[in-house]
Amino acid sequence: MRKVFVLGLDSAPPKTLYERYGVDIPVLGSLIDDSRRWLMRTCHPPITIPAWLVMFTGKTPGELGIYGFRHRKPGDVGHTYIINSNFIKHQTLWDTISRAGGRVGIFGVPPTYPPRPVRGFMITDFMTPGPENQYAFPPWLKHELESRFGPLIFDVKFRRHDKERVRDELFQMTRQHLKIIEYLVKRKAWDLFIYVEIGIDRIHHAFWKYFDVSHPRYEENKELSRVIPDYYKLIDEGFKRIRKALPKDTIIVVASDHGVKSMAGAFAVNEWLIKEGYLKLKEKPKKPGTDLTREMIDWDSTIAWGWGGYYSRIFINLKGREPKGIVGKEEFDDVITQLSNDLRRVKGDNGALWRNIVLRPEEIYPEVRGDPPDLMAYFDDLSWRAAGTVGWDTPFLPENDRGPDDAVHDWHGVFTVYDPEGTVSRGMGGEMPIERIADYLRELMLSKS
Amino acid sequence: MGEETVSIEISRELYEKVKKYIEENGGFSSVREFVEFVINEVLSTEEEASAGYTKEEEEKVKERLRSLGYL
Repeated sequence: MRKVFVLGLDSAPPKTLYERYGVDIPVLGSLIDDSRRWLMRTCHPPITIPAWLVMFTGKTPGELGIYGFRHRKPGDVGHTYIINSNFIKHQTLWDTISRAGGRVGIFGVPPTYPPRPVRGFMITDFMTPGPENQYAFPPWLKHELESRFGPLIFDVKFRRHDKERVRDELFQMTRQHLKIIEYLVKRKAWDLFIYVEIGIDRIHHAFWKYFDVSHPRYEENKELSRVIPDYYKLIDEGFKRIRKALPKDTIIVVASDHGVKSMAGAFAVNEWLIKEGYLKLKEKPKKPGTDLTREMIDWDSTIAWGWGGYYSRIFINLKGREPKGIVGKEEFDDVITQLSNDLRRVKGDNGALWRNIVLRPEEIYPEVRGDPPDLMAYFDDLSWRAAGTVGWDTPFLPENDRGPDDAVHDWHGVFTVYDPEGTVSRGMGGEMPIERIADYLRELMLSKS
Repeated sequence: MGEETVSIEISRELYEKVKKYIEENGGFSSVREFVEFVINEVLSTEEEASAGYTKEEEEKVKERLRSLGYL
C-alpha cells in the first residue's frame, strides 16, 4: 500500500495555487510544479459541506442526502437540523483504506464530529461544538494533544468588522493546526493522512477585497492587503516542516473543496419572490434584514420561499407536504418550470445580464436522498450570494446580510498529486470532477506497489 | 456467579508489552483488565457518536454557525 498525505486547503483556488496570484509559496509551489495538476470541478452545491464528503466518498450530495450545513424537514420554513458525522451512510476513503489493512489519520474533515472509531486516529472538524467535547479518536488522543498544544481551536468568527482580531485569531488557529499535524505525522502510524485546514477559507472570505485587485470593492490597505499573502506564507512554512517529517516515498496531494472569487453583492431572493408574486407577507417587516418566519407569511397566497447562503434553496408551498400548501401535486412541475425560467431571467439592478443557474435535484443527482430543496439557484454564476432575509427595499444588496464577507465560492478548486516515485506524471491533467477523487486515490494507494 | 467470558488470542509480543507496561506504570491489576478497559474506551466513542449532537451541542454549533453567518 502506498502512503498518501492529503493537504486539504478549504476554498483554495487555481488563481493562488496554480497562477500564484499575489502569493509567494516556494515550497508548496515547487511541489505543485512537480505534480500532476487538475482543475478540480466541485459539486452542486459548491460548499464545504457537502463538498469534502463528496471528495472522500465519491458520492454526489443527492446520494449522500446532504445539501449544506442545515436542512429542513417538510413543513418547516427555516432549518430544523444540522449535519454531523451520523449522516454519513456511505463508505469513506478512510473506511476503504482501513478495511484494506491500512492505518488512517484524519484531521478536520467536515463533517466528522462526533468522531467514530477508525483504524488509526481522528480529530474532528470546525462543526465540533467546542474543545470541551470529545473530538478525538482514540479518546486519549485529546489529552495527549491538549497537554502539548492547549485547547484545540476549531474555527474563528470571521464575519466581524474587527479585521485585525480576525487575522490574529486565524493565524493563531492555523499555527496550532500545523504544529499538531507535524506532531501526528512524526509520532503516529498512518498510511493515509488527511488534513483539512478551514482557516484558508475564512481568510479568503474576510480579506479577499484587500487582496484581489479585480474585486468590485477592491481596497488597498497597508496592513490588510498583506493578510492573505502572509497567511499563504504561514501555510507554506508549516508545510515545509510537515514535508520534512513525511516518509520519503509518500504521495502528496494538495486539494481544495471549491474555489473562491469576489462577491459582487447579495441577492435578496425572498424580496424578488415577493415582487414576482410567488411569496406574500402579511406585512412588510419594519427592519431590513429580518429573518423570514412562518408567522410572517400569508400562506394562502404563497407559492414559494427561499433560503440564502452561497446558493439559494427554493421550496414550493406544496399541498400535502407543507401545512398550508396551495400548489397541487398536478401543478408542481409547471410551477417549478415557470419559477426556474423566471429565476434564470433575473438581471442585475442596472439591467446587467446575469448567468443564473437553476437546477432541480432530480436532474443532477443519480439519487435524491434526505431533505432536498425543490430548486437550487446560483445568481450570476455564484458572483451574487443569496440573502434569505426580508424587509429590504431592493433585492440587490451591496453587502452580505449576515455580516461582512468579501468572497463567494467558485466552481474550480485544485487537485494535485506528487509521487516521488514517478508513477504519476507531472503537468496539467485537465478537469477532475470531485466525485472521481475518492476512486482515484483508492487506486493510487491500493493498485500500485 | 461471575460474568461469562470468552477467550481471544493476541500476539505474545503485544501481551508482553502490556504486561511490562502494567508492571511499570500500575493502574491495572492484569493484562485482561487493561485490554477490557481499552476496548470499552474505544467502544464508548462509537456509542457517543451514534447519538449525534446532544441538544446542548447542537445549540452550541448553531450559535457558532449563526455567528459565522451561515444560519
